[in-house]
This record gives sequence, C-alpha cells and structure tokens, in this order.
Amino acid sequence: MSNLTTAPVCLECDTEVALPAEAELGDILSCRGCGQEHEVVEVTPIRLELAPEVEEDWGE
Amino acid sequence: MSETADVLVCVTMVRPEERLLLGALRATGLTARSALPRHTAAILNNAAPRPRKVLLRNVSHRELAATAGRFEQAGIETLNTPHAVRLCLAKDLQAIAFANHGVPHPNTHIAFTVEQVRAYVDTLGGDAVIKPISGSWGRGIVRITDQAQFDAWAGGREALDPAGKEFPVVVQEYVPKPGFNERVHVVGDRPIVAYRQVGAGLRTNTHQGGAVEPIPISDRARELCARVVACFGPGFYGIDLAESRETGEMYVLEVNTNPDFARSSEIHGVDIAGHVAAYVRDSVFASTGVAA
Repeated sequence: MSNLTTAPVCLECDTEVALPAEAELGDILSCRGCGQEHEVVEVTPIRLELAPEVEEDWGE
Repeated sequence: MSETADVLVCVTMVRPEERLLLGALRATGLTARSALPRHTAAILNNAAPRPRKVLLRNVSHRELAATAGRFEQAGIETLNTPHAVRLCLAKDLQAIAFANHGVPHPNTHIAFTVEQVRAYVDTLGGDAVIKPISGSWGRGIVRITDQAQFDAWAGGREALDPAGKEFPVVVQEYVPKPGFNERVHVVGDRPIVAYRQVGAGLRTNTHQGGAVEPIPISDRARELCARVVACFGPGFYGIDLAESRETGEMYVLEVNTNPDFARSSEIHGVDIAGHVAAYVRDSVFASTGVAA
C-alpha cells in the first residue's frame, strides 16, 4: 500500500499525517487519528507505506 | 532516486539515533541522506553517483548483512566494515575471533545439537547460559542451573524447532555479575564513554529497561577495547563488558555493530553522534587526500 499525495493521509483511516519540518527517508510517522505508523519511502513528493513490524532479527 | 550525497546512512527505519547521526554529519559540512534498501539500487547498478562512505544502521540483521555485502562487492567503504559486521552479527564467530586474538571472553562452546548443549552445560559445571547465535536485545537468552531447567529448555526448543534449524547456539560460562554490565562506546579506535547498564537479571540492555549510570572509562576497559579494535578493526561499536563479582575478572561479553545510544546519551551527555560524524568526516577526507 502506498500514498502519492503531497499532503499524505493515513493509509488506514484517511486522517492527514503530520510531517516533520525535514522528512527523512525511513522516518516513522504516526497517525493522530488511529495511531497507525507509516514509513516515509519517498520524500519528493512524500510517499508513505505502512511501517514495518518489528521482526525477530532486529536489534543492536 | 539519484541524489548524490557524501554519506549514505542505510536504515531499516530512521530512529532517534539515525536522526542524530544525519544532523551531526551535516553539521560537519558533509552531505548526508538516509536510504532504505530500495534506495541503494541505483548506486549498486552504477546508475547514480557513489557515496564516499556508507554508514550501516539497518536495525534488521538480515538487511544489515546483505547491505554490507553488497557495498563490499561494489567497492564502497562502509562503517562498520563488512568484516566487523559479520563478527558482530554472529556470537559463534565472535567467540572464535576472541579466542584467536586473546580477548578475554567467558568460556564459550558452539553447539549444534541438544545433546551437545547438554554436554557443554555439564562441562561448565551445570551452570551455563544458552544464547542464540544471532539474538539481540537479550532475546532468547536463558540460564540453565539444573536438569529440570535444561529439560524445559530442550522440550520447548523441540516443540518450536523440531528440525533443529535454529542451531547452532552458544553455551557460555555464567558470569556472576554485580548487577550490571559495562557498556563502552568506541568510535574509530577510541573509547568515548562508559556507563553501567543496571538490571536485575541476565538482561541489562537499556532496550530491555536497564538503567544507565555513567562511569569513568577505566584503564582495564581501555585495554579490552583496544584488543577488540585490534581484532575487528576501527569502527563504531557498543562493547559490553562484565566483571565477575567472584573473581574480579573482566570479560568482553559481546560487541554490537549498531549500538543504540539516543536514550543513554540523554543521561551521560556525551555527543556520540558528533563523535561518529567527526570520525566519518576525517576518514572521508583522509581517503581523498583533502584536509579536514
């Protein structure tokens, strides 16, 4: 799932997702409406995908 | 994506650590940007400018190992080096490397079957710690002190992994710690900060809720870090040390290639991201013969 608008909305509930002043690729953004986390996968224009779930091989 | 950057920060996601690193790198005058694996395609396919350095910060071990290997084959320098990443991601390789380089490490055996685990626990006096080869954040680590605990571990393992695909594991001497590990962050070849990770059980990782208590960097810690750097090469590491409260001996428990530091930095106040950025800047300019 992805989102190609310049003012991104939540992929679950369509609430507008607030962006940091300077979004980075890989930023995790939470929806204020439903809490769904998204990952920034493109910055020009902003494109979001659902954030990856923590996996068993994540860590230091 | 074809934007050029001096430093590419490879990530699974941008956490507070990576945001700090990006800011610190830019503050040195270098250009830096983050990249998910998909954003490395153009570089690896020679369709985009090559970065001067890649900072490997993927929190996924699988992603980290693959990314390190790809840049190694492409001839692009990474921090940490692929050699160090390989060692850090596998406790069996670390144990072998430590043994070969005189790095004090708890007595450790690599076991490929439940029977071998049982034999090594017995060899270690019936009190040992079993660790997955690639576990992190303390996951999957258990201490065995009697037959009933061993049977519970073996039974649970058989139920979840009947084919034994999750072997090998390491069976390690239990070190009776005084309630904390010591974490030392090394940048390049220099330890820059030390703190205790305080916790009641085996797991003292700050990620698992361990408390942070800053301490001076001791001469012994410096010596152990120097031995690790001699084995792994200069880099950016979180080195875990543990002192036996019974013998006073200090061991290197493990070396982490992708250390967390955002939470602990708020307590000890050392600008770890700034140290890493300065090291990257110096290494970039050194490799191009330009004065920093």
